Amino acid sequence: MNEMDALAGLHGSDRQVGSMLGRLPLRGRRLGYAAEGPDGRLRGRVRIPLDEMVWDPAILVMPHGGEIELELTNDDQNTHCALLPSNGDHQFLWLPNNSRGTATLELDGPGCYWFSSIIGNDEGQGLIGAIVVQGSTPPEARLDRPPQPRS
Amino acid sequence: MTDSYVDAGHAVDQASLSGVVGSAPPVVRDVTYDRIREARSEPQNWLTYYGAYDGQRYSPLDHVNTENVRRLAPAWVFQAGASGLYAGPSTYSFEAAPLVVDGVMYVSGWDGWVWALDGRTGQELWRYKHAIPSDTQLCCGNVNRGVAVAKGKVFVVTLNAHVLALDAETGECVWDKTYGDVQAGESGTVAPLVVKDLVIVGSSGGEFGVRGHLDAFDVDTGRHVWRTYTVPRPGEPGSETWPADGEAWARGGGNLWVTGTFDPELNLMYWGTGNPAPDFDGSVREGDNLYTDSVIAVDPDNGEIRWHYQYNPHDLWDYDSNMEHILFELDGRKLLGHFNKNGYFFVLDRTNGELVRVTPFVDRITWGEIDADGTVTAKVFPKDEGEPVRFWPGPGGAKEWTHAAYSPRTQLFYVPVQDVGAEITLRHREFKEGIPYWGAGVVVDSKDMAGSVSAFDPATGKEVWRWRNDVPMCASVLATGGDLVFAGEPTGEFNAFDARTGKLLWQFQTGSGHHSSPTTYSIDGRQYIAVPVGWGSWVEGFLPGMFGAPHGDALFVFALPEE
Repeated sequence: MNEMDALAGLHGSDRQVGSMLGRLPLRGRRLGYAAEGPDGRLRGRVRIPLDEMVWDPAILVMPHGGEIELELTNDDQNTHCALLPSNGDHQFLWLPNNSRGTATLELDGPGCYWFSSIIGNDEGQGLIGAIVVQGSTPPEARLDRPPQPRS
Repeated sequence: MTDSYVDAGHAVDQASLSGVVGSAPPVVRDVTYDRIREARSEPQNWLTYYGAYDGQRYSPLDHVNTENVRRLAPAWVFQAGASGLYAGPSTYSFEAAPLVVDGVMYVSGWDGWVWALDGRTGQELWRYKHAIPSDTQLCCGNVNRGVAVAKGKVFVVTLNAHVLALDAETGECVWDKTYGDVQAGESGTVAPLVVKDLVIVGSSGGEFGVRGHLDAFDVDTGRHVWRTYTVPRPGEPGSETWPADGEAWARGGGNLWVTGTFDPELNLMYWGTGNPAPDFDGSVREGDNLYTDSVIAVDPDNGEIRWHYQYNPHDLWDYDSNMEHILFELDGRKLLGHFNKNGYFFVLDRTNGELVRVTPFVDRITWGEIDADGTVTAKVFPKDEGEPVRFWPGPGGAKEWTHAAYSPRTQLFYVPVQDVGAEITLRHREFKEGIPYWGAGVVVDSKDMAGSVSAFDPATGKEVWRWRNDVPMCASVLATGGDLVFAGEPTGEFNAFDARTGKLLWQFQTGSGHHSSPTTYSIDGRQYIAVPVGWGSWVEGFLPGMFGAPHGDALFVFALPEE
């Protein structure tokens, strides 16, 4: 499965999201998936490659909502940072040259969340990534109605 | 971690890199249902969305009054700004009504923000930020209208349709429940209402063909207690007002995105319901379409609808009727007042829903008319595919969701008025879940418009005074015991009027348009007036002529200079 096929399969049949995310691989290198360990905990990795000003992967997929342990590596020769979405507050990590750190994020899903490097030299340079949380709304919160057509 | 890498450590809360204190005094611990019920007896506080269950948006505080208001000046300003990318950056608006408990302010912002602030200084005590998916379908903008407080907790809904209980001392989440389906186009924007041991919230998403509902959760545990739909299933009462075949009812709308009011003696809540879906194409939903565009009187103990009054049967103009139902007494009768998008001011007997009086409150009403007995006659409406029709008020309404006020001192209602029309062209479309379902092309006038703050006597329905503005007035009004009426303008001015004459007594330019609900409180005898300022939301619907006006994100608090 190539990246675009994988994107089309993300998030149900949500055309809008697929279109939005489809632009990201042009900057980032690939799609990545969080792995669920035997303890049920999700873990994922992203890195910043040398001289590319991108996150790799640019899109990290969580199979469901909840908590994820994220490892972030800066393989670049410049200093960057990460501002990450999480319930409670944004999570901030300073990433000096050739550094590695971690973050714990809690995300509801389903949906697409942006992350980025918000320091001066990086904004507008492409260091934008997405975390896509798959899954669906809990049954008890859904509308009481027959299944409806989707696009 | 290999030795070749520098250890960057573990990510931290962004708030830890700010001046935030991290905790607030335990002032909410003793906020009980009984205190909220008697909220007006503690005027130093603003304990619930409208200030009290009656929805009057009136404070007895009179330290700032018609004699001294000219000296009113900023006491402090809180600004949030933005970091990184977030959902709805173009449509965000600062719409909340700040609550205050014994000197601590609790206020929500766009995109999942909640703040606790020192009411005297504006210092940030704690913050909470819910992560909002950027693909959340936002019915009408990235907004939140406020929080509720009780028993040590701050309650708020999120754009992705969760209801949260936060610890009022730390901002940490105590419980989190999902109450809507974002994949169906549902969202959450309403300020919750605490009644007894329940926190009650309504759903947003009326432009996406969802089925509106009201939900109640246990204050302590978050246990879901009841859900009431505003569009009945086939066979349920009211279902005869929908087509017998097909699934129009399942996409019928009727959302509840504005907080209800409550009469503890009658044990009834009064919630307004939103437009039917699709907004403008009535051909797929023949009938009156109950309980859309109605007030429903709901038993808070079980969610049962005791009575209803429908303002716009078979709505074809997007005249949501969510707006506040203000409870008041006249000649010993328990009444409610409601200014509808359709341009009419309704007074109902709140014990049974009987119409007492209906009168127009805006100059231009061309969509149709309502007789004194409440009979609705539609005149101009989208009927033929591709044929434009023009009508007043436009779909933003003669009054939007932003609230009127009632002063028991003057016995007058004060209402922000929008006089703006629109051209609607019927465009039939098939329903698809999660896709906007309007059934029309919509162009709201950006010229030939006007607005006002107008005072009405509910005993006659007649206008007592009017302060005219060049553009519609799109922010809630606040009335005080100092015989003042406060209202913000789309062009940034925050105004104080004489409640008896409408004379403009004071004005301050805040730098961005107003689309929020100002509140007032006092600390050690000093009265403050708080107003969130941040122009945005569905501007293209209620004032497209100001679509390019500056976005702001500040909370201004005013007071008289200290002696």
